[in-house]
Amino acid sequence: MSLTARGVTIHFGGLVAVDGMDLDAIPPEIIGLIGPNGAGKTTFLNCLSGIYRPTGGSVLWNGEELVGRAPHVLLARGIARTFQNITSLHGLSVLDVVKLGYNMRGDLDFADRLLSLFRSERALDEELTEMFLKPLRLADVADHPIQTLSYGHRKAVDLARALAAHPLLLLLDEPVAGLTSQEGMAMAGVIRTVRDRFGCAVVMVEHKMDVVMDTCERIVVMAAGAKIFAGSPSEVQSSSEVRRVYLGEPS
Amino acid sequence: MTYALQLAVAGIAVGSVYALIALGIVLIYKCSGVVNFAQGAYAMVGAYVTYFLVTMGLSPLIGVIVSMAIMAGLGALTERAILRPMLKAPVVAVMMVTLGLLIVSQAICLAIWGPDQRAFPALFPSGAVEIAGIFMTYNYVATGILSALLSVCFLAFYRYTLLGLAQRCAADNSRAALAIGIHVSNQVSLAWAMSAALAGLGGTLLATLNGLSLGLADIGLVAFPVIVLGGLSSLGGALIAGLVLGILQSFTDGWLTPVLEDFLRAHTSIYSVGALQQVVPYALLVLMLLLRPEGLFGRGGTERV
Amino acid sequence: MKTRHLLLAVAAALVAIVVSLLVGRFQAYLIGAVAVASIGALALNLLIGACGQISLAQGALLGVGAYAAGNFGNAGCDFLALPAAGLTAALISALIGLPALRLRGLYFAIATLAAQAILEYLFKTVEPLTKGISGLVIKPMTLLGTPLVTDQAYAALSVFALFVTWLFMVWIMRTNIGRAFLVVRESEIVARGMGIDVARTKLWAFVASGFFVGIAGALTGFITRLANPEAFGLQLSVDYVAMIIVGGIGSWGGSIIGAAFVVLLPELIQRLGEFLNVPNVLSAMRELAFGLLIILFLIFEPRGLVALLRRLAPRIVAAAAVLLGRKEIWKPQSASRRRL
Repeated sequence: MSLTARGVTIHFGGLVAVDGMDLDAIPPEIIGLIGPNGAGKTTFLNCLSGIYRPTGGSVLWNGEELVGRAPHVLLARGIARTFQNITSLHGLSVLDVVKLGYNMRGDLDFADRLLSLFRSERALDEELTEMFLKPLRLADVADHPIQTLSYGHRKAVDLARALAAHPLLLLLDEPVAGLTSQEGMAMAGVIRTVRDRFGCAVVMVEHKMDVVMDTCERIVVMAAGAKIFAGSPSEVQSSSEVRRVYLGEPS
Repeated sequence: MTYALQLAVAGIAVGSVYALIALGIVLIYKCSGVVNFAQGAYAMVGAYVTYFLVTMGLSPLIGVIVSMAIMAGLGALTERAILRPMLKAPVVAVMMVTLGLLIVSQAICLAIWGPDQRAFPALFPSGAVEIAGIFMTYNYVATGILSALLSVCFLAFYRYTLLGLAQRCAADNSRAALAIGIHVSNQVSLAWAMSAALAGLGGTLLATLNGLSLGLADIGLVAFPVIVLGGLSSLGGALIAGLVLGILQSFTDGWLTPVLEDFLRAHTSIYSVGALQQVVPYALLVLMLLLRPEGLFGRGGTERV
Repeated sequence: MKTRHLLLAVAAALVAIVVSLLVGRFQAYLIGAVAVASIGALALNLLIGACGQISLAQGALLGVGAYAAGNFGNAGCDFLALPAAGLTAALISALIGLPALRLRGLYFAIATLAAQAILEYLFKTVEPLTKGISGLVIKPMTLLGTPLVTDQAYAALSVFALFVTWLFMVWIMRTNIGRAFLVVRESEIVARGMGIDVARTKLWAFVASGFFVGIAGALTGFITRLANPEAFGLQLSVDYVAMIIVGGIGSWGGSIIGAAFVVLLPELIQRLGEFLNVPNVLSAMRELAFGLLIILFLIFEPRGLVALLRRLAPRIVAAAAVLLGRKEIWKPQSASRRRL
């Protein structure tokens, strides 16, 4: 069970957003993907999650080529992701969204799908609340409509949705952006708990250094679309290369 | 061979009217992002207004010009009164409003003039002309020439004049246009006014060919295959596509239908293919949408994330 | 959905069925017409309101249902002609929906326009199945051998079919596919990113919607005993869109109210016209009222009659309370989720 991305490249017209990017992820490690603005981190994540089709390179998941596959196929293979911009989904409650994720999990076969059409909602609601909403402190807003929730709560719902799909690889797009440092630390704690409980690999694109250094076991640094450094948090912190990329050359 | 040319010429005449109508739809689309399902209504109302003016005593020329002016006013009016309040509404809702306008205008014309077809007053001298063995009534000739002329004039205006430039700016990027001092909402009203006027003329010309009736509004529907073929955002495309479709229809009616019917009668029990030329544009439309949705000349759509 | 609501609906349906069997011909005909239109409106609301796919081809799809029912019924399929017609329409609907997989909303709407035109043409030309312009004569539907001939019988049948349709709509929105509809309506990009198979979701919307439109068309065919191309034109498509706009996109009850409105309005105007003695203005009036209603609703209350009533209800109740001398009658409900 491993992700192997090699030489992933994507062009947008004349702009090369991701240039030969490599990444390895093996459950249950938590990997941070950092880099200055415009480095191509989210774009790369989009390539991994099937939203963009890379113009070159390969993404192997358990030996299967994933390039060009749609997100719902990837979800069936156990790859889930969260989003930076949470749209308000009108008409849906927190539980609805989580149930959506739950019903798209990879270990679901046709018989399950058929049965799910007729199964009692109440039992499922309780089960999902217990498993996914409680750890994220969303249990008391379970049937609130999404649009009434705060940004932080909505992000948590998005995470719950991704988790409910029983992922083996969780791709997080700036999970603590927009949260206060307190909320951010709480979210980081949740991510760790989630990883401990479910044993999935986590690739986390993030800007908040304290969260990254605290949560990730391995860090990959991206700049101008390519990988420029990879290592443990302390190695990254002491690397002059990384410092140059973030802070520029000393004059 | 002359028969083929005859068909082609007839097709060009009708096709140029299609082009006129389609031009209006594309213009409005570029400016407001709205597909005006009521364009056919403008054509119909324009024809009825001309009819009214000419039977009141105005000379045909003045009548047509005044009618176009009135239609321009109506176009601007609908833009202000109905489209403005719906600026924030989803595109679907605005489309529905234009459909509502279509229904309302047909109802008003029905109420005033009744459901029957009327003979349209002669705008052009009766009689026909023969060139290279092809017969054309003056009506057809005038229709073709006038439509083509106005379409080309309009394209020239859009491309080469200052006001046309202002139109293009407002259509392309309203914020940027505002920033450089173009009165965008006026430009939008102008676009609607011009579209309505062009449609009114088209309707009038069509009425000289086919008579005055509520069915004139149907031309608004045929305009859709035209603009899909030409590209929803391309004026020149609308012109060319209109002509192409007119010729296609003409050939279907004059050649394909008899050939097909002969074949079918010989081999099956099907006797007639009905109004095949009316459905050919739509079949073509479906084909275009599946193969090349941006039309022959349109730009590929960009998906906003 | 609370059991209370379900019981209420069952009761309402039973009452309506009993009423339809007891009233006179004309009233039964009206009940049947409203019920059939409601089925079509609910189906369209599923497609447009729940899944956000615009379609202008309902008129033709209703025709498909009618012609199919006619052919199946005349061939002796008994009441199975109804579901058979539904399946036929579902199939055609799926075909119409195929371009939706590749086209954005506007272009797709135009494609449905083309589908409407093409189907109308086929109605006129595929003589073996449709008998062309003269129309297909449809024998009365038989229920296990007994032919249904009275307006009352068809009214009762239509109300029953409406109840089943409504049940289906409520049920499907509670399933995963229903939730997927809502997300796809909101944003296809978000849906795709979330892992929803957008193509499959849209196709199911078309199939489900088409099935019930087919049923509505079939019932229309049996009631009028004739299917002819004139009756299934673009005007009908627009009628149905008007029904769900007036009633409120996204509200099942609203679709039924909208259908009742659109069906009964001509009758109302007819009575008015007879009263005022103006024949020509009559049909024009209906169209005018129609078009104006669509426009006004879209500008001022796009969520339709139901939303309008909800907005006004507190004021009406408050006014009544004041009149009756009571202080507080309207208790705001706690945040409840807005379900379709």
